[in-house]
Amino acid sequence: MKQSLFGRLGQKAKSWEFVLLLILILEFIIFGAKNPKFLMPNVLLGSINDIISICIISLFVTFVMITGGIDIQVASIVGLTSIVVGVTWQDFGVNIWAACIIAIIAAALCGALSGFFVAYCGVQPMVVTLGGSFLYSGIALLISKLSATQSYKGISGFPDGFTQIASFKLFGVIPSQVLIFAGLTVIAYLLLHRSKYGRKVFLIGINPRAAEYSGLNSRLIILSTYVLSAISAAIAGIVLTSYLGTAKSDIGMTFTLPIITAVVLGGTLSTGGRGSVIGTALAALVIGILRFGLPLCFKINTQYLDIPVGLLLLIVITGRALSANPKVIKLMAGRFPRLSGLKS
Amino acid sequence: MAQSQTERSGQSLLSVRGICKMFSLNQVLKGIDLDIHPGEILALIGGNGAGKSTLMKIIMGIYQPDQGEIEIRGEKVSLTKPSVALTHGIYMVPQEPMLFPNMTVEENILVGVGFDASGAELRRRLTQLMDDIGWHLDLTRKASSLSIAEQQLVEILRGLLRNAELLIFDEPTSALTFDEVESLFRCIRDLQKKGIGMIYITHRLTEVFDIATHVAIMCDGVITLHGPIGDFTREMLVKGLLPPNMQDQEIKGTTGTAVVDYKDAKPILELQNYSGYGFRGINLKIYPGEILGVAGVVGAGRTELATTIFGKDKVLGGKAILDGRDITGLSTKKVLEAGVNYVPEDRHLNGLFKISDVAANTTSAILNRMVMGKVFLNRKAEHDLTQEYVEHFRIKVTGQDQLTGSLSGGNQQKVVIARALSTGPKLVILDEPTRGIDAVARGEVYSIIHQLKEQGVAVMLISSDMEEIVELSDRAVTVYQGRINGEFQKEEINQDNLMAAAFDVISREQVVS
Amino acid sequence: MTLLKKVGKVREISSLFFLIFLFGLVGLVNSDFLTPTSLFNCFNDSVVFTMLAVGIAFVILTGEIDVSIGATLGLSAAVASTILRDGGSGISAVLAAVLVGCLVGLFNGFGIAKLGIPSLIFTLGTNGLVRGLVYVYTGGAWVENLPAGFTKMANIKLIGELTTFYAAALVLVIAAHLILTKTRRGKYFITVGDNPAGATMVGIPTMQTKIMAYVLCGLFASVAGVLYSSRIGFITPTAGSGYEMKAIAACVLGGVSLSGGLGSLIGASIGAVIMSSISRILVFLGFSSDYDNTITGILLIVIVVVDAVAQNRAAVKTRHARLASRSGPLEEEPGDRRAAS
Repeated sequence: MKQSLFGRLGQKAKSWEFVLLLILILEFIIFGAKNPKFLMPNVLLGSINDIISICIISLFVTFVMITGGIDIQVASIVGLTSIVVGVTWQDFGVNIWAACIIAIIAAALCGALSGFFVAYCGVQPMVVTLGGSFLYSGIALLISKLSATQSYKGISGFPDGFTQIASFKLFGVIPSQVLIFAGLTVIAYLLLHRSKYGRKVFLIGINPRAAEYSGLNSRLIILSTYVLSAISAAIAGIVLTSYLGTAKSDIGMTFTLPIITAVVLGGTLSTGGRGSVIGTALAALVIGILRFGLPLCFKINTQYLDIPVGLLLLIVITGRALSANPKVIKLMAGRFPRLSGLKS
Repeated sequence: MAQSQTERSGQSLLSVRGICKMFSLNQVLKGIDLDIHPGEILALIGGNGAGKSTLMKIIMGIYQPDQGEIEIRGEKVSLTKPSVALTHGIYMVPQEPMLFPNMTVEENILVGVGFDASGAELRRRLTQLMDDIGWHLDLTRKASSLSIAEQQLVEILRGLLRNAELLIFDEPTSALTFDEVESLFRCIRDLQKKGIGMIYITHRLTEVFDIATHVAIMCDGVITLHGPIGDFTREMLVKGLLPPNMQDQEIKGTTGTAVVDYKDAKPILELQNYSGYGFRGINLKIYPGEILGVAGVVGAGRTELATTIFGKDKVLGGKAILDGRDITGLSTKKVLEAGVNYVPEDRHLNGLFKISDVAANTTSAILNRMVMGKVFLNRKAEHDLTQEYVEHFRIKVTGQDQLTGSLSGGNQQKVVIARALSTGPKLVILDEPTRGIDAVARGEVYSIIHQLKEQGVAVMLISSDMEEIVELSDRAVTVYQGRINGEFQKEEINQDNLMAAAFDVISREQVVS
Repeated sequence: MTLLKKVGKVREISSLFFLIFLFGLVGLVNSDFLTPTSLFNCFNDSVVFTMLAVGIAFVILTGEIDVSIGATLGLSAAVASTILRDGGSGISAVLAAVLVGCLVGLFNGFGIAKLGIPSLIFTLGTNGLVRGLVYVYTGGAWVENLPAGFTKMANIKLIGELTTFYAAALVLVIAAHLILTKTRRGKYFITVGDNPAGATMVGIPTMQTKIMAYVLCGLFASVAGVLYSSRIGFITPTAGSGYEMKAIAACVLGGVSLSGGLGSLIGASIGAVIMSSISRILVFLGFSSDYDNTITGILLIVIVVVDAVAQNRAAVKTRHARLASRSGPLEEEPGDRRAAS
C-alpha cells in the first residue's frame, strides 16, 4: 500500500505542491484547533495584509530562479516604488494613477538594467542584484529628499481612490489583496506554464547551451525575467503604500529572506530549470500563515518567527539534497522502486 | 591479450584485472586486463568512445570500477579518490591541462605535494628537475599567461615532482610544436631509463613507433590487441583499430542506395575557403539527397566546423552559401530559419533538456514559429508533432511526459534528431549521431538518415566511426588538424583509406619516401 | 620580474590606488579630510567591516558565499555582551563568542561541503535561524549596561590616532594573509576556488578546505561581534543585520572575485575601508550621507561588470588560442608558435 502511494505521488512531478497543500491544511487544523478565532474569515483574510508583498513578488522571482538566477534587489524596488508614487503625486502634482504607472515603469527600468548586466555581460546575478539593492534603495532615499515632507515621516494623505486599493472588500469580506494575489497568481501561472514564453524560461534554465542550439534568444529571455520580478515588486510596493497610507523609501527592506525562502520552499530548484507558480504561491501562504498563526495561537513572540521560517528552509533543502544523493537513491530505489525514476 | 603476460619478468608496477564499468545503461568497459612494468611505455590507442579515458579515470581514482581489481606493485589497492592514486605514485597529465589560472607556475607545481619535504627542499628539487630535463619556465608567471604547450609542461613537472612511478599521458602532443614534442620525448626516454612506467594515449601512430615499448588497442570497451611494439607494423595497427565486423547484419537498416546525380545538381551548401577557430581553408559542397561523411580523429576540427556554420562561433574567413544565400556569420537563430540544423556531438551538454519531457524537447527548436501558437502554447500541435516523431522513430517512451533524462541513450538521441528535423531543414549536420548508443538504436538512426536522403535533405555526417562513414556515405572527406586532407567518392570509401587519412598516414609517408 | 610580480598582485594594488586616489580627491576638495585624525578615523571605523570582509573572503575565495555573517555577528555580540554585563571575565566572553561563530561556520560548512547544498540558499536559512536565536537569547530586549572598561576599550589609542582595535585587526589580517599565501595548506583555499576539478586531481581535500573556510568565516564574524559590542556599547536584537551584504560589497570593492580563486585578504580589508569611508567622504565633500547607498551600489556594479567582461573576454581568447593551436600552424606565419617555447 505504502509503496503504491509513494509511487503515485512520485510519478507526478507536481507532488511537491500536494505536500505543500497538506502542510497548509495542517496549519489550518492546528491553529484552528488551538484558537478558533484564527478561522474567522475577517481575521484570516485580514492576515493577508502582512504577507501580500512577499506573496506577489515571490511569484515572479520564481521566473528568475528558474532561469538559474537570483534576485535580491526586489526588496529595495518596493521602497523605490512607494516613494516614487508619493513624491510624484504630492510634490510634482501628478495624478495618483499616473504616478503609479511612472513608478512601475521606473521599476521595470531598474529590473532591465540589472537583467542586462546578468544576461549580456555575464555577471553573477547575485552580485548584480546585490549592487542593485544598494543602488535602488539609495536612489529611493534621494528621491525622498526631493519631497517637502521629512523622509522619516513618509508621505501620506493619499486620495480615497488610492487607499481603496487595499481597503476594498469584495462582498464585504474578501480583501482586495486576496483578489490581487489570486489574479497575479493566475497571470503568472498562464505565463509560466501555458505560454511559449514560459516554456522558453524553463528550457533556458534546464540547459542554456541546448537552448541556444535550439535557436532561442536566451539572453533576452533572462533579461525579461528580471523586468517581470521588478514590476511585481512595483505592484507590491503600490499595494503596500495603499495599505499603510504612507509612502516611504525603506518599506520592504526585510522582504528578501522570506521571498527567496518562499520560492525555494515552493519547489524551485536553485540551480534552475524546475519550479512552479502554484508551488511558490502555496509556499508563500504556508510561510505567511505560519508567521500569522504562531503568534496568534501559540503566543509566540513575532520576533522569533525567523526561526521556524529558517528551519523550514533548512529542512526542505537538506531533505532534497539527501534525496538527490546517489546512496540515498539506491536505498530508496530498493524500498520504493517506483520512486527512483523521479530523482534522475 | 594473453600473449603478453609471460614474456615480461619481474613485478608489475600496475596491474588491472577484469575492470568493468557501466554508465546508466551503457557498458563502457567490459573486462579490461592490463599490466605495466617499470620502464615500459605502453601506447594505448583506440577510437573515440572506446573507453580509454574511462579506464584512465578509474586508474586515477576519479571513477570507481563496478567490477575488477587494481594492484600496484603486487598489492591490491582501492583507489577511491585522486589523492589515493597520487600517494601510490600514479599521476595523469590530462589532455586539457588542469592548472590554477590565478596562481604562479611554482605554486601550481608545488601545491598539494605531500608534507614530507620542506618548501625550500621542494623548490630545490624543482630547479634540479628542470635542469635535468632542460626545460625552463619562469616560475613567477601566472598560469593564465602560459601557452597551451607551457601548461602541458607544468602538468608534467607536477607529476615528476611527485615522484610518480607511473605517469599517464593523455594525448600530450596534440598542442605541442615539433621542437616541444622532441624535448618531451627526450624526457620520456630519460624517465624510462629511471624505471618509470608510462601509459601514453595518442591518436598519432607515428609517435607510437617513436616512443612506445608496448602497444595496446582498445575497441568498444575491450583490449583487442596487446604486445611489444616490435611485433607490429603500422598497417597491423591500422587494421587493429577497425572494429570487428560482427554486428553488420543487425546494424544495417534499410539501405536505400539511390546514387546521387552530381551532374546537374546544385549544391545545398557551399563552403568557400571557410576558416574559423579550429579549422582553416575549407572548400566543400554538399548536394541535396546526399550523405557526406566527414571523418577524422577527435580534435581535428570537425565539430568546430559544424558549430561555426551553425552560428555558434566567429567565422575568420571565407563564405558559407546555403542554397544561393550567403549565411556566413549569421546567428544560430537565423541559420536555423535559413534551413540548417545541427545535432550536437555531446547530447548531454548541448542537446538535451534532461529534466524536461519528451514533448518539450522535441518542439524546442520550433518554439518561435506560429505552429506552436501565438502567445500560448498550442498543446495539440505539440502533442501531434511529438506523437508523429515518437511513432515514426519508434522512440520508446512511457508517454510524452516522460523526462528525457530517464530515456536510454538511443532514445535520447532520437529525440534530439527529431528536434533537428522538426524545423524542416535543407541540411542536417549530424555530429557523432550514434556515439554511446546500442546496436539496435544505431540501426534505427541509420534508417532515419536514409529516409532523410530519400526526402532530398542533404546530410553532413560527422563521425569517428569509420564503419559508419563507409556504410552510409555517398561521398566522404577526412579532416586532419583543421584541414580537409582527403576526399573520397562512393567507390573509394573504405575503412583502410579513411583510417589512413584520418591519422594522416598517407601524407606523412609520402613526405618520408 | 618585478613587473610581473606587480601584475600578479594587481587587484589589491589597484584597490589600494583607488583608496589613495579617493582620499586625495576628497583632500583636494576639502583639506580638513587629510588631517591625521580624520584619516585614521576612516581606518578605525572600518574595524568591524574589516573583520567581516576578511572572514567572508575565505569563503568567497573558495567560490562559495555566506549571507549568515550578519546574524552570526549579532549572536556572538549578544553572547559576549551578556557575559560581560553579568560580570563574566573578558576572556570567557571572547571565548564564548568565538565558539558561537565557529559552530555556526561548522554548521554552514557541513551543509554546503558535505551535503552539496547551494551556499546562498543554505546560509540564507542559517541566517534566519541564527537571527531568531538572537531574539531567543536576548528575549528580544537590548543588552545594555556593559562595563565601562569594555566600552572604553574601543577608544584606546595605541600610537597616535590608531586605535588598539584596528592595530589588532591589522595584525590579524596580516597573519591570516601570510597563512593564506605562504603556507602550503593555506594555498588550498585559493586552489579550491580557482579550479575545483584541478584541486581534486592534485589531491587537495576540497571538502575539508571548504568547511575550514566557513569555520574561519564564522570566527572572524564573532570577533567582529565582540568589537561591535565594545564600539556601540549596547546590542539590539537586529545588530548586524544587513552587514553581510556590506561585507560582500567590501570584498568586491577590494578585488575579491565572487567566482572564487582570485583576490586576497589584504584586498578585502582595503575594500572594507573604502566601504565604510564612503559616508564620511560624502560629508567632507559637502554631500549628505544619503548618497551612501547609491554610491556603493554604483561602485559595486561598475566594478563587477568591468571585471566580468574582462574575464569573459580572456576565457574566449584562451579557448580560441587552444583551437587555433590544434588546427596547426598557418603557412603564412611559420615562426609564430615556435616563439612560445
